[in-house]
Amino acid sequence: MTNIYAALEIGTTRTVLAVGEAKTGERLRVTCHAEIPSTGVRKSQILDISQATQSIRSVLRAVEKKQSETTGDSLTIGNAFLVVSGQHVKADPYQGTAQVEGAKVGTNDINEAIRSSRLMALPRDRELLDIVEQAYGLDDLGGIASPKGMSGRVLKLDTLQIHADKNRIDNARTAAGEAHLEIRDPLFAATCAAEVVLRPGDKRNGALVLDLGGGSTGWAVYADGYLVTANAIGVGGDHVTNDIAYAFQTTQAQAEALKREEACAVVGGDKSAGPRANLPGSSPLMEARTISRRALDTVVNLRCKEIFTIIRNDLEDRDLLHRLNAGVFLTGGGAALKGIDSLARRELGMPVRIGTPTEVDGLETEPHSESFAAIAGALLYAHRNYEEKSFIKSLLGGFFK
Amino acid sequence: MNETSPLLLIGVGGAGAAIARGVNRASGEGLRYVLADSDASTGGATDPFILLGGDRLSGHGSGGDVAQARLAAEDSRASFDDVIEGVRLAVIVACLGGGVGSGATLAIARHLRERGVPTLVFATLPFTFEGEERRRSADGVTAAIASESSASVFLPLDKLVGDVDVMDEALRRAVDTLASGITLFWRLLAKPGYIRLDTEHIRRIIAKAGNGRFAVVTTQGPDRSVEAVDALARSQLLASGTSPVRSILCGVLAGEDLRLSEIGKIADGVRATFGERCSFDLGTVNDEATFSGRISVVLLLFESNGTPDEEDNSGQTARGKRAHKSRNPLAQGPQGRGRFNNVEPTVWRNEDLDTPTFIRRNVTLDI
Repeated sequence: MTNIYAALEIGTTRTVLAVGEAKTGERLRVTCHAEIPSTGVRKSQILDISQATQSIRSVLRAVEKKQSETTGDSLTIGNAFLVVSGQHVKADPYQGTAQVEGAKVGTNDINEAIRSSRLMALPRDRELLDIVEQAYGLDDLGGIASPKGMSGRVLKLDTLQIHADKNRIDNARTAAGEAHLEIRDPLFAATCAAEVVLRPGDKRNGALVLDLGGGSTGWAVYADGYLVTANAIGVGGDHVTNDIAYAFQTTQAQAEALKREEACAVVGGDKSAGPRANLPGSSPLMEARTISRRALDTVVNLRCKEIFTIIRNDLEDRDLLHRLNAGVFLTGGGAALKGIDSLARRELGMPVRIGTPTEVDGLETEPHSESFAAIAGALLYAHRNYEEKSFIKSLLGGFFK
Repeated sequence: MNETSPLLLIGVGGAGAAIARGVNRASGEGLRYVLADSDASTGGATDPFILLGGDRLSGHGSGGDVAQARLAAEDSRASFDDVIEGVRLAVIVACLGGGVGSGATLAIARHLRERGVPTLVFATLPFTFEGEERRRSADGVTAAIASESSASVFLPLDKLVGDVDVMDEALRRAVDTLASGITLFWRLLAKPGYIRLDTEHIRRIIAKAGNGRFAVVTTQGPDRSVEAVDALARSQLLASGTSPVRSILCGVLAGEDLRLSEIGKIADGVRATFGERCSFDLGTVNDEATFSGRISVVLLLFESNGTPDEEDNSGQTARGKRAHKSRNPLAQGPQGRGRFNNVEPTVWRNEDLDTPTFIRRNVTLDI
């Protein structure tokens, strides 16, 4: 049986839709994806639902057209998983407990600990994105992967509950609904990205996945094989663009072009570039000119360094910095910035690499596949967690109309 | 308790409740206050009390768990709705570092913001001797509290109390010092003298005040006004800010012997010391019974006054910043927030991250 999934990301700078398919037990392949610039979104929040709806309609049409051109099949997408990012996403630890009934831990005890770990009630304005099981504990002993058959009195299960602002997710639902797209489960961008860039060994050795988005930066930390924590801050590539626009008195579009084509996150890091960067004119009143490359790099460097400092402090506060032996994996649109990996290496003090989505197929020819890590991860997450029932649910949800 | 007062004091957590009780004792009748904690034993027989997360924690406290305390406070939002009826300005007092202090204060501040009640938070930061864990717990929420409240004052207990060897004594002195400081602030609002600072005026100031610093000094003798200004200028609590002062709220509390020349000296001295060009509001309290022969000056310095073009009043504006302000022809808005002008600010460690980093770091660009 072939399962087909769709995922939608309404980002600050772009709206992306991707379709993936996989036969049961096989690797997932991203068969089609499209992106268009977002409007009506700031810092990962929808500020104008009608504009967001328009973006979703456009990207839906683009994907459906692409899919029919590629495969010859007519496809109408009726539902999609939603990739969520932004500072409103939080992760809280919660422990489930169970009194061991016999002398040794049995299946019933484990089920009871799992059931108990799902009792955390969220406030009405929060929506649960995921409950991640971390490790079991038995009395004073912690870090147990499989407690079955072990002796003890109280079984504990540590979990991480990832949740987000319900209103913001509902706004995305409304915008998608207006475009006749039903939203299935919302998923956190950084943990989705981790699904496709980390291998099991990376998770065991300790890894940080840093999803550098337009309106926010999210991160997910893995150690001992499981997700230890996740967090986000409302600062991203859009802030870099805004800083450039303010420093050099440009339009946002000019600043965006400077960021993509000229800037380097390490001051003077682009040895092949000259001392002045070209700034094309944007209108008859604003003529083409050149600006100091050193000044441009300085503006970008200060902002990026600040983002890494925030993340480093968060990791230090949680005593996690020394546990990341596999290093840092950069994903998202911000990972395409020149010199960003060098700066991250310097600021975080550990190996850094660009997070290529190696756990799925279909993105090999994409020049910046790291910018599709989160949405590809959402497809993979769906495949791993909804495999058997997804086809039926898709039919009911109107995946094929 | 005066249930019709437009001012509400909320003491959060065990220590916050102790401070609020101290303020109530010193203020006499007329103080509208409520205590809030997840530990049922904090609520006394007569104090108005909100048990946070009764169903979740059964009144046993959060055990230092910040997440549980935050959730407990969120569970109890309806109880706060009951007590904020008619409130125009709320003051929260809490000691950060524990579960409720750190977790519940944030949730309560957020709820009041959502209900449209301007909120001033006075929160202490733990003593160094309290250890790394409590420091982290406090540091982890200060930025969030700052962003959820209209104005916030974080007071490091080490600076508030000074050198005290005995831990119990240090904690007691911290509670007493903060309680007496807030009491004076409260009297300024509730019992104004010749120069009145009414609630609505204070409300307007607080609603856009941002990060704040707070100190109280008391002096006596013929040069008491000059000595008060000197003491304020030396205060470590007022020297701890990272951004320039944009708004000053000054209260002078004295007996019947308060002279106009003394008020003038204090006003001039404070403005000369902390900012000539920022907005300045002064009020007085005349209470012969309490302040006979003495003078107390309450000073609140805020780093925002809500005006669209906030210039550095210290006269030390960075060259780069000034150059950009004068040359930039594009409407970028206050402090270069540009496209983030109309969205909720991202605040981290009391800094508005939507403002360009090079501006906040005062970096001059040779463009």
